[in-house]
Amino acid sequence: GGAMSFLKRFPPPAEGVRHRQPDTEAVLAGRSLGAGTLYIAESRLSWLENSGVGFSLDYPTISLHAVSRDLSAYPCEHLYVMVNAKFEEEGTKEAPMAEGEEEEDSDDDVEPIAEFRFVPSDKSALEAMFSAMCECQALHPDPDDEDSDNDYEGEEYDVEARELEQGDIPSFYTYEEGLSHLTAEGQATLERLEGMLAQSVSSQYNMAGVRTEDSIREFEDGMEVDIAPVVAGQFEDAEVDH
Amino acid sequence: MEVSHSVKERTIAENSLVILLQGLRGHVTTVDLRDESTATGRITNVDAFMNVRLAEVTFTDRQGTVSCLDELFVTGRNVRYVHIPDEVDIRATIEQQLQAIHRVRYFGGRDKGRKEFPRAKHK
Repeated sequence: GGAMSFLKRFPPPAEGVRHRQPDTEAVLAGRSLGAGTLYIAESRLSWLENSGVGFSLDYPTISLHAVSRDLSAYPCEHLYVMVNAKFEEEGTKEAPMAEGEEEEDSDDDVEPIAEFRFVPSDKSALEAMFSAMCECQALHPDPDDEDSDNDYEGEEYDVEARELEQGDIPSFYTYEEGLSHLTAEGQATLERLEGMLAQSVSSQYNMAGVRTEDSIREFEDGMEVDIAPVVAGQFEDAEVDH
Repeated sequence: MEVSHSVKERTIAENSLVILLQGLRGHVTTVDLRDESTATGRITNVDAFMNVRLAEVTFTDRQGTVSCLDELFVTGRNVRYVHIPDEVDIRATIEQQLQAIHRVRYFGGRDKGRKEFPRAKHK
Protein backbone atom coordinates (compact mmCIF):
# COMPACT_ATOMS: atom_id res chain seq x y z
CA GLY A 1 0.00 0.00 0.00
CA GLY A 2 0.99 3.67 -0.19
CA ALA A 3 2.76 5.59 2.53
CA MET A 4 0.63 7.39 5.09
CA SER A 5 0.74 11.07 4.34
CA PHE A 6 1.32 12.16 7.90
CA LEU A 7 4.73 10.50 7.83
CA LYS A 8 7.53 12.99 7.32
CA ARG A 9 11.26 12.94 7.12
CA PHE A 10 13.04 14.66 10.01
CA PRO A 11 16.23 14.21 11.98
CA PRO A 12 16.05 12.21 15.16
CA PRO A 13 15.67 14.38 18.26
CA ALA A 14 18.99 15.16 19.91
CA GLU A 15 18.03 17.02 23.06
CA GLY A 16 16.20 15.89 26.14
CA VAL A 17 15.85 12.30 24.98
CA ARG A 18 14.85 10.40 28.09
CA HIS A 19 14.60 7.06 26.33
CA ARG A 20 15.48 5.71 22.93
CA GLN A 21 14.17 2.33 21.85
CA PRO A 22 15.40 0.92 18.56
CA ASP A 23 13.79 -2.01 16.81
CA THR A 24 10.31 -0.85 17.65
CA GLU A 25 7.31 -1.35 15.44
CA ALA A 26 4.69 1.37 15.31
CA VAL A 27 1.07 0.45 14.77
CA LEU A 28 -1.77 2.87 14.14
CA ALA A 29 -5.33 1.64 14.55
CA GLY A 30 -4.19 -1.88 13.88
CA ARG A 31 -2.07 -1.08 10.82
CA SER A 32 1.68 -1.48 11.01
CA LEU A 33 3.79 1.50 10.00
CA GLY A 34 6.96 -0.55 9.92
CA ALA A 35 10.00 -1.00 12.10
CA GLY A 36 11.90 1.93 13.52
CA THR A 37 13.12 3.72 16.61
CA LEU A 38 11.02 5.34 19.29
CA TYR A 39 12.36 8.53 20.87
CA ILE A 40 10.82 9.59 24.14
CA ALA A 41 12.03 13.16 24.43
CA GLU A 42 11.03 15.91 26.79
CA SER A 43 9.60 18.05 24.01
CA ARG A 44 7.70 15.40 22.08
CA LEU A 45 7.35 11.72 21.35
CA SER A 46 8.84 10.72 18.01
CA TRP A 47 9.05 7.56 16.00
CA LEU A 48 11.26 7.18 12.94
CA GLU A 49 11.07 4.25 10.62
CA ASN A 50 14.41 2.79 9.58
CA SER A 51 13.97 4.49 6.21
CA GLY A 52 14.00 7.89 7.91
CA VAL A 53 10.35 8.93 7.80
CA GLY A 54 8.20 9.09 10.85
CA PHE A 55 5.97 11.23 13.00
CA SER A 56 5.88 13.08 16.28
CA LEU A 57 3.24 13.41 18.94
CA ASP A 58 2.94 16.34 21.31
CA TYR A 59 2.37 15.43 24.93
CA PRO A 60 -0.63 17.72 25.43
CA THR A 61 -2.43 15.66 22.77
CA ILE A 62 -1.72 12.38 24.52
CA SER A 63 -4.62 11.34 26.74
CA LEU A 64 -3.03 8.30 28.26
CA HIS A 65 -0.37 5.66 27.80
CA ALA A 66 -0.02 2.15 29.15
CA VAL A 67 1.94 -1.07 29.15
CA SER A 68 -0.14 -3.85 27.72
CA ARG A 69 0.88 -7.46 28.28
CA ASP A 70 -2.60 -8.86 27.79
CA LEU A 71 -2.12 -11.08 24.75
CA SER A 72 -5.83 -11.70 24.43
CA ALA A 73 -6.35 -8.01 23.78
CA TYR A 74 -3.42 -7.64 21.39
CA PRO A 75 -1.00 -10.40 20.35
CA CYS A 76 2.20 -8.57 21.34
CA GLU A 77 3.33 -6.82 24.49
CA HIS A 78 3.50 -3.13 23.74
CA LEU A 79 3.32 0.48 24.82
CA TYR A 80 -0.15 1.80 24.12
CA VAL A 81 -0.62 5.51 23.47
CA MET A 82 -4.00 7.17 23.03
CA VAL A 83 -3.92 10.49 21.24
CA ASN A 84 -6.62 13.11 21.15
CA ALA A 85 -6.30 13.76 17.43
CA LYS A 86 -7.15 12.26 14.09
CA PHE A 87 -4.48 10.68 11.95
CA GLU A 88 -5.11 9.88 8.38
CA GLU A 89 -5.13 6.22 7.74
CA GLU A 90 -4.43 4.45 4.52
CA GLY A 91 -7.53 4.19 2.37
CA THR A 92 -9.75 6.64 4.25
CA LYS A 93 -10.98 9.86 2.76
CA GLU A 94 -9.03 12.94 3.70
CA ALA A 95 -11.97 15.33 3.81
CA PRO A 96 -14.13 14.63 6.83
CA MET A 97 -16.98 16.61 5.38
CA ALA A 98 -18.15 14.14 2.77
CA GLU A 99 -21.90 13.94 3.12
CA GLY A 100 -23.52 10.67 3.86
CA GLU A 101 -20.22 8.98 4.46
CA GLU A 102 -19.71 9.65 8.16
CA GLU A 103 -18.05 6.85 10.07
CA GLU A 104 -20.06 5.56 12.95
CA ASP A 105 -18.09 7.33 15.65
CA SER A 106 -17.35 10.62 13.98
CA ASP A 107 -20.03 12.51 15.87
CA ASP A 108 -19.34 16.13 16.54
CA ASP A 109 -19.73 15.37 20.23
CA VAL A 110 -17.12 12.67 20.35
CA GLU A 111 -13.53 13.73 20.45
CA PRO A 112 -11.22 12.20 17.90
CA ILE A 113 -8.92 9.54 19.16
CA ALA A 114 -6.06 7.69 17.56
CA GLU A 115 -4.59 4.57 19.05
CA PHE A 116 -0.90 3.94 18.63
CA ARG A 117 0.97 0.87 19.74
CA PHE A 118 4.72 0.76 19.98
CA VAL A 119 5.98 -2.80 19.96
CA PRO A 120 9.63 -3.12 20.96
CA SER A 121 11.45 -6.29 20.07
CA ASP A 122 12.93 -6.09 23.56
CA LYS A 123 9.90 -6.57 25.83
CA SER A 124 11.90 -5.90 28.96
CA ALA A 125 12.22 -2.29 27.86
CA LEU A 126 8.52 -1.59 28.28
CA GLU A 127 8.85 -0.48 31.91
CA ALA A 128 11.54 2.05 31.08
CA MET A 129 9.58 3.29 28.09
CA PHE A 130 6.47 3.71 30.21
CA SER A 131 8.32 5.57 32.98
CA ALA A 132 10.10 7.85 30.54
CA MET A 133 6.74 8.78 29.08
CA CYS A 134 5.29 9.48 32.53
CA GLU A 135 8.18 11.83 33.26
CA CYS A 136 7.84 13.67 29.98
CA GLN A 137 4.08 13.90 30.24
CA ALA A 138 4.43 15.51 33.66
CA LEU A 139 6.50 18.25 32.04
CA HIS A 140 3.47 19.32 30.04
CA PRO A 141 0.63 20.12 32.41
CA ASP A 142 -2.64 21.16 30.86
CA PRO A 143 -2.47 24.85 29.97
CA ASP A 144 -6.24 25.00 29.53
CA ASP A 145 -6.93 23.99 33.09
CA GLU A 146 -9.40 26.64 34.15
CA ASP A 147 -10.87 24.89 37.12
CA SER A 148 -7.82 24.72 39.26
CA ASP A 149 -6.19 27.45 41.20
CA ASN A 150 -2.68 26.43 40.33
CA ASP A 151 -1.36 29.83 39.45
CA TYR A 152 1.00 31.03 42.08
CA GLU A 153 2.00 34.42 40.86
CA GLY A 154 3.76 35.44 44.00
CA GLU A 155 7.42 34.79 44.22
CA GLU A 156 8.65 31.94 46.27
CA TYR A 157 8.96 33.26 49.74
CA ASP A 158 11.37 32.28 52.39
CA VAL A 159 9.49 30.49 55.13
CA GLU A 160 12.21 31.49 57.52
CA ALA A 161 12.01 35.17 56.67
CA ARG A 162 8.25 35.14 56.98
CA GLU A 163 8.58 33.77 60.47
CA LEU A 164 11.06 36.49 61.37
CA GLU A 165 8.34 39.02 60.76
CA GLN A 166 6.64 37.57 63.73
CA GLY A 167 9.49 38.65 65.96
CA ASP A 168 11.33 35.42 66.36
CA ILE A 169 14.99 35.13 67.14
CA PRO A 170 16.86 36.24 64.04
CA SER A 171 18.90 33.68 62.24
CA PHE A 172 20.91 36.15 60.23
CA TYR A 173 22.73 39.33 61.22
CA THR A 174 23.54 42.65 59.66
CA TYR A 175 27.22 43.50 59.61
CA GLU A 176 27.16 45.53 62.81
CA GLU A 177 25.04 43.03 64.67
CA GLY A 178 27.27 40.26 63.46
CA LEU A 179 30.41 41.94 64.72
CA SER A 180 28.92 42.42 68.13
CA HIS A 181 28.03 38.72 68.28
CA LEU A 182 31.54 37.53 67.63
CA THR A 183 33.30 35.72 70.41
CA ALA A 184 36.81 36.76 71.29
CA GLU A 185 38.09 33.91 69.17
CA GLY A 186 35.91 34.94 66.26
CA GLN A 187 37.10 38.50 66.60
CA ALA A 188 40.72 37.39 66.48
CA THR A 189 40.08 35.27 63.42
CA LEU A 190 38.41 38.16 61.67
CA GLU A 191 41.33 40.46 62.39
CA ARG A 192 43.84 37.92 61.20
CA LEU A 193 41.98 37.34 57.95
CA GLU A 194 41.60 41.04 57.34
CA GLY A 195 45.28 41.52 57.97
CA MET A 196 46.18 38.85 55.44
CA LEU A 197 43.86 40.44 52.95
CA ALA A 198 45.33 43.88 53.50
CA GLN A 199 48.87 42.57 53.00
CA SER A 200 48.12 40.94 49.68
CA VAL A 201 46.23 43.97 48.54
CA SER A 202 48.76 46.62 49.45
CA SER A 203 51.67 44.75 47.94
CA GLN A 204 50.30 45.18 44.49
CA TYR A 205 47.35 47.25 43.49
CA ASN A 206 43.91 47.85 44.80
CA MET A 207 41.42 45.23 43.75
CA ALA A 208 38.11 46.78 42.86
CA GLY A 209 35.76 46.68 45.75
CA VAL A 210 38.20 45.39 48.29
CA ARG A 211 39.11 47.82 50.99
CA THR A 212 40.19 47.14 54.49
CA GLU A 213 41.06 49.50 57.29
CA ASP A 214 44.72 48.70 56.77
CA SER A 215 44.79 49.38 53.07
CA ILE A 216 43.16 52.75 53.56
CA ARG A 217 45.73 53.71 56.18
CA GLU A 218 48.57 52.80 53.85
CA PHE A 219 47.46 55.37 51.37
CA GLU A 220 47.17 58.18 53.81
CA ASP A 221 50.01 59.96 52.11
CA GLY A 222 47.36 61.66 50.15
CA MET A 223 46.93 59.38 47.21
CA GLU A 224 43.30 58.78 46.64
CA VAL A 225 42.29 55.38 45.50
CA ASP A 226 38.85 54.78 44.11
CA ILE A 227 37.19 51.48 44.07
CA ALA A 228 36.56 51.92 40.39
CA PRO A 229 39.59 53.86 39.21
CA VAL A 230 38.84 56.11 36.29
CA VAL A 231 42.03 58.11 35.97
CA ALA A 232 42.58 59.20 32.45
CA GLY A 233 45.41 57.40 30.80
CA GLN A 234 46.16 55.20 33.77
CA PHE A 235 44.67 52.08 32.31
CA GLU A 236 44.99 52.81 28.68
CA ASP A 237 46.44 49.44 27.99
CA ALA A 238 43.82 47.53 29.89
CA GLU A 239 41.41 45.68 27.70
CA VAL A 240 39.03 44.70 30.39
CA ASP A 241 36.44 47.26 31.35
CA HIS A 242 35.40 47.15 34.97
CA MET B 1 3.89 8.91 53.32
CA GLU B 2 5.43 10.29 50.19
CA VAL B 3 5.20 13.87 49.02
CA SER B 4 6.42 15.50 45.86
CA HIS B 5 9.99 16.76 45.68
CA SER B 6 8.78 19.88 43.94
CA VAL B 7 8.01 23.01 45.93
CA LYS B 8 5.43 24.07 43.41
CA GLU B 9 3.70 20.71 43.41
CA ARG B 10 3.55 20.60 47.20
CA THR B 11 1.91 24.00 47.23
CA ILE B 12 -0.61 23.06 44.58
CA ALA B 13 -1.46 19.84 46.41
CA GLU B 14 -1.77 21.58 49.74
CA ASN B 15 -4.33 23.95 48.30
CA SER B 16 -6.52 21.56 46.39
CA LEU B 17 -8.25 18.25 46.76
CA VAL B 18 -5.50 16.61 44.72
CA ILE B 19 -4.04 16.09 48.16
CA LEU B 20 -6.81 13.61 48.85
CA LEU B 21 -6.05 11.68 45.66
CA GLN B 22 -2.40 11.58 46.58
CA GLY B 23 -3.38 9.94 49.83
CA LEU B 24 -4.98 7.11 47.87
CA ARG B 25 -1.61 5.72 46.86
CA GLY B 26 -1.72 1.95 47.25
CA HIS B 27 -5.50 1.74 47.14
CA VAL B 28 -7.42 0.00 44.40
CA THR B 29 -10.03 2.20 42.88
CA THR B 30 -11.81 3.19 39.69
CA VAL B 31 -11.00 6.22 37.61
CA ASP B 32 -13.61 7.44 35.15
CA LEU B 33 -12.08 9.08 32.10
CA ARG B 34 -13.38 11.97 30.10
CA ASP B 35 -14.16 9.79 27.12
CA GLU B 36 -16.37 7.49 29.19
CA SER B 37 -13.83 4.72 29.53
CA THR B 38 -12.93 3.50 33.01
CA ALA B 39 -9.83 2.14 34.62
CA THR B 40 -9.79 0.10 37.81
CA GLY B 41 -6.43 -0.52 39.39
CA ARG B 42 -4.06 0.26 42.22
CA ILE B 43 -3.02 3.89 42.42
CA THR B 44 0.76 4.19 42.40
CA ASN B 45 0.98 7.95 42.02
CA VAL B 46 -1.04 11.11 41.61
CA ASP B 47 0.80 14.34 40.93
CA ALA B 48 -0.26 17.92 41.46
CA PHE B 49 -1.66 18.10 37.93
CA MET B 50 -3.91 15.14 38.69
CA ASN B 51 -1.99 12.84 36.36
CA VAL B 52 -2.85 9.40 37.71
CA ARG B 53 -0.63 6.35 37.49
CA LEU B 54 -2.22 2.96 38.09
CA ALA B 55 -0.95 -0.61 38.19
CA GLU B 56 -2.71 -3.91 37.46
CA VAL B 57 -5.49 -2.21 35.61
CA THR B 58 -8.74 -3.49 34.20
CA PHE B 59 -9.52 -1.05 31.45
CA THR B 60 -12.94 -0.75 29.88
CA ASP B 61 -12.88 1.41 26.79
CA ARG B 62 -15.72 3.60 25.63
CA GLN B 63 -17.08 0.80 23.50
CA GLY B 64 -17.14 -1.51 26.49
CA THR B 65 -14.20 -3.68 25.51
CA VAL B 66 -12.32 -4.92 28.53
CA SER B 67 -8.58 -5.45 28.63
CA CYS B 68 -5.82 -5.67 31.19
CA LEU B 69 -3.00 -3.19 31.40
CA ASP B 70 0.08 -3.68 33.54
CA GLU B 71 0.47 0.03 34.08
CA LEU B 72 -1.59 3.01 33.02
CA PHE B 73 -0.92 6.74 33.10
CA VAL B 74 -3.90 9.02 32.59
CA THR B 75 -3.31 12.72 32.12
CA GLY B 76 -5.13 14.95 34.59
CA ARG B 77 -7.03 16.58 31.79
CA ASN B 78 -8.65 13.27 30.96
CA VAL B 79 -9.67 12.32 34.46
CA ARG B 80 -13.33 12.94 35.01
CA TYR B 81 -13.79 11.24 38.34
CA VAL B 82 -11.82 9.28 40.87
CA HIS B 83 -13.86 6.98 43.05
CA ILE B 84 -12.84 7.14 46.70
CA PRO B 85 -12.79 3.63 48.12
CA ASP B 86 -15.22 3.01 50.98
CA GLU B 87 -12.46 2.05 53.36
CA VAL B 88 -10.76 5.41 53.01
CA ASP B 89 -11.28 7.95 55.78
CA ILE B 90 -11.24 11.14 53.77
CA ARG B 91 -10.50 13.59 56.57
CA ALA B 92 -7.74 11.47 58.05
CA THR B 93 -6.15 11.00 54.64
CA ILE B 94 -6.09 14.73 53.97
CA GLU B 95 -4.62 15.44 57.41
CA GLN B 96 -1.90 12.83 56.97
CA GLN B 97 -0.92 14.28 53.61
CA LEU B 98 -0.78 17.80 55.02
CA GLN B 99 1.39 16.60 57.88
CA ALA B 100 3.74 14.93 55.43
CA ILE B 101 4.09 18.16 53.49
CA HIS B 102 4.77 20.12 56.65
CA ARG B 103 7.40 17.63 57.75
CA VAL B 104 9.22 18.19 54.48
CA ARG B 105 8.84 21.94 54.68
CA TYR B 106 10.16 22.23 58.21
CA PHE B 107 12.80 19.55 57.92
CA GLY B 108 15.87 20.47 59.89
CA GLY B 109 14.15 22.70 62.35
CA ARG B 110 12.47 26.07 62.32
CA ASP B 111 15.33 28.14 61.03
CA LYS B 112 16.31 25.84 58.26
CA GLY B 113 13.01 25.68 56.45
CA ARG B 114 12.65 25.52 52.73
CA LYS B 115 11.22 28.11 50.46
CA GLU B 116 7.60 27.65 49.54
CA PHE B 117 5.10 29.59 47.47
CA PRO B 118 2.68 31.91 49.20
CA ARG B 119 -0.46 30.14 50.19
CA ALA B 120 -3.78 30.86 48.63
CA LYS B 121 -6.20 32.72 50.87
CA HIS B 122 -7.35 30.78 53.87
CA LYS B 123 -11.04 30.12 54.01
